[in-house]
Amino acid sequence: MKKLTTYSLIAAAVGLACTVVGSAARTAEISLPPDPSQLPARQLASYVCSKCHGPNANGISISPLFPILAGQNPVYISDTLKLLRQRGRADPHARAFMWGVSSKLSDEEIEGLAEYFSKLPAVGGHPSKNPALAAKGKEIYENGVEEPKVVKCAQCHGEVGAGTNNVPRLAGQHPGYLALQLHYYHTKLRENKLMNRNVANITDDQIDAVVEYISTLSGVETP
Amino acid sequence: MRLLRWAAAAAIWVVGASALMLVAQPASAIPPFARQTGMACEACHTLPPELTPFGRRFKLNGYTLTTRPPLVNDINDNKDNTLWLTDLPGIAVLAQLNYSHYNRAPPDTGNPYPAHAQSDTYQFPDQFSLAYAGAVSDHVGAWMQLTYNGQSGTVGVDNIDIRYSDHTFDNQWVWGITANNYLTFQDVWNGIGSYTIPNFNTVSLYNNGVAGAGTTGPILNALGPGVVGGIGAYVFFNDSLYFEVSEYHSAVAGGASPVVDSVSLAANGGAVDRFAPYARIAYERDWGYQSAEIGASALYVNWIPSVGYISKEQAAAAALAGNSYTPTQTYNPGAIDKYTDLSVDWQYQYNGQHNIFGFMGHITHERQQNSPQLVAATFNGAPGVSEGPIYTNPTDTLTQFLVTGEYFRDRHYGGLVSFTRTTGTYDPLLNGGNGSPANQYETFELDYVPWLNVRFLLQYDVYQVVANNQSPFNLSNSLFPNSPGFPNVRAGNNNTWVLGLWMDY
Repeated sequence: MKKLTTYSLIAAAVGLACTVVGSAARTAEISLPPDPSQLPARQLASYVCSKCHGPNANGISISPLFPILAGQNPVYISDTLKLLRQRGRADPHARAFMWGVSSKLSDEEIEGLAEYFSKLPAVGGHPSKNPALAAKGKEIYENGVEEPKVVKCAQCHGEVGAGTNNVPRLAGQHPGYLALQLHYYHTKLRENKLMNRNVANITDDQIDAVVEYISTLSGVETP
Repeated sequence: MRLLRWAAAAAIWVVGASALMLVAQPASAIPPFARQTGMACEACHTLPPELTPFGRRFKLNGYTLTTRPPLVNDINDNKDNTLWLTDLPGIAVLAQLNYSHYNRAPPDTGNPYPAHAQSDTYQFPDQFSLAYAGAVSDHVGAWMQLTYNGQSGTVGVDNIDIRYSDHTFDNQWVWGITANNYLTFQDVWNGIGSYTIPNFNTVSLYNNGVAGAGTTGPILNALGPGVVGGIGAYVFFNDSLYFEVSEYHSAVAGGASPVVDSVSLAANGGAVDRFAPYARIAYERDWGYQSAEIGASALYVNWIPSVGYISKEQAAAAALAGNSYTPTQTYNPGAIDKYTDLSVDWQYQYNGQHNIFGFMGHITHERQQNSPQLVAATFNGAPGVSEGPIYTNPTDTLTQFLVTGEYFRDRHYGGLVSFTRTTGTYDPLLNGGNGSPANQYETFELDYVPWLNVRFLLQYDVYQVVANNQSPFNLSNSLFPNSPGFPNVRAGNNNTWVLGLWMDY
């Protein structure tokens, strides 16, 4: 019985291996070449980007360490990737994750990725669990802070957080990711003259509030 | 002779563990992977060697993910790659140093009681490794490591994992084949096996240099380089469900014999007979900053112990010549111990912007069905059998529980606490003393990581129970059998401070 058991397990192992190899043969025609520069955007997103920016190349990252790209404005994606490629963006996560990943991307690939991710279904907002905090954030988002000066977000990102062109969409983004970026802008770890100035005086409490409000935005203009 | 039996029995328990601890301690972060992917260590590791969800996928994809275009590339008419070489081979240099201070000076190994050795040791290096780590082709990747071990003073083949992997178009299925020489080295979670946290290689002089003084463990953790070679197939479905089946065969390293025989058995303390099947299933769920896994493993091993043995023919020839025969450690093809290990492991990670929490561990239950001809009650002492029984019980069991909690801030500061407890059936012939294999100890560790590839650590290992720490103490060492002349040794004498440096480039 022992022998039978042992051999059964071995047979099962071999059987699984054969099954797997068999499926490999069927999928051989879609096996991926190693050079990312040869990959069309969909495959590139699946093979590389999806490891952080969402399974199955859906552009919706699981961890707030990484931004959601689905529905992001294509010009912003394109500009940012080019900025990362030339190491013009130097916040810690840009260095750790994106400098290397973007270093070999061609302009065509960047444009392809920007188009691909921008066309994926975007994530919308959800009702706040802390309406008081969200109301405080709404005030900052729509009207800014007078003293010390914090520029209102809606001025560029729009009332619904949809952004435009090279101004990123904020609606649906991970609150943790947004808070970290605001922190980076505030401390100039992420350099952007406009944003560094706009949030130069923002406090941690104000970041928490405005991020809470942004998480409620749909990104869709209502008539 | 009794000493020899105990030594043989101890060797059965610790052979793999010894090999692993002395030769095959896994390395940590591998900078070649960072060079290959263009990502910093934190992409794949919370703190090396613990993997993040991305790191697990990188490994399951066969270490092949790269952002480096090939320097040399050849394709056939079907546009399949037939050669793919990067401009930079993934060579890594890894080093571990440690300074250890023991609670009580260990006995002088060449001059028993009352002589003592120094109560501290400086392992410089504890380990020094060269490794190739990275893609070999578009679907093949490898980790192949040579290590100089400061304790053994030798250079040997260390961990090897060669993978072929592929995935479906949308990554819903990742599958692969792994050929490796270390059971569990292929695993991607950190609750069990070679990458169990804590992972720094500590040394205890009280157990002949084997980490974890007098500690026994399941064979699941003990089949490593120089002992086995294996091959397995795995599937990772929908970023969550992992299934693997593997088999391991004895792979004799070193010595004069390339096959399992009396020479290699005596050198290695035992060997796997034929094939040892291993199966693994795990489920991972990631959400937000968090990742959780629960898994199970099963291993079946037919183990040939190295025990004194003489064949009937040898005994007859000795009798004819008028000599008495002296069994020596040799190959006894009839003596097979059957191990069945079942294990449940778990891991939780919070991998936040600044804070990292981890909680992981395993429970492993082992059933050891001993060879009847090595068990006291069924041992007949006739020629053609072993020189004596080495087990009291026909069947022994062992259960190990390990749990670790860790916290790191900004990947620069942090620490961990780990608790290990092992219990099992009393088997005086196997374990000596009162027969208990029990051990219990904790590890407390503080870490400072100024750079992600340089790690300083201060560790304190505290022992409440080690095998045979009953009085009189047995050090599992032929020089100190039930050492009545070395009294009052307590488990706490093994308590060890370790100041370590771990760096890779």
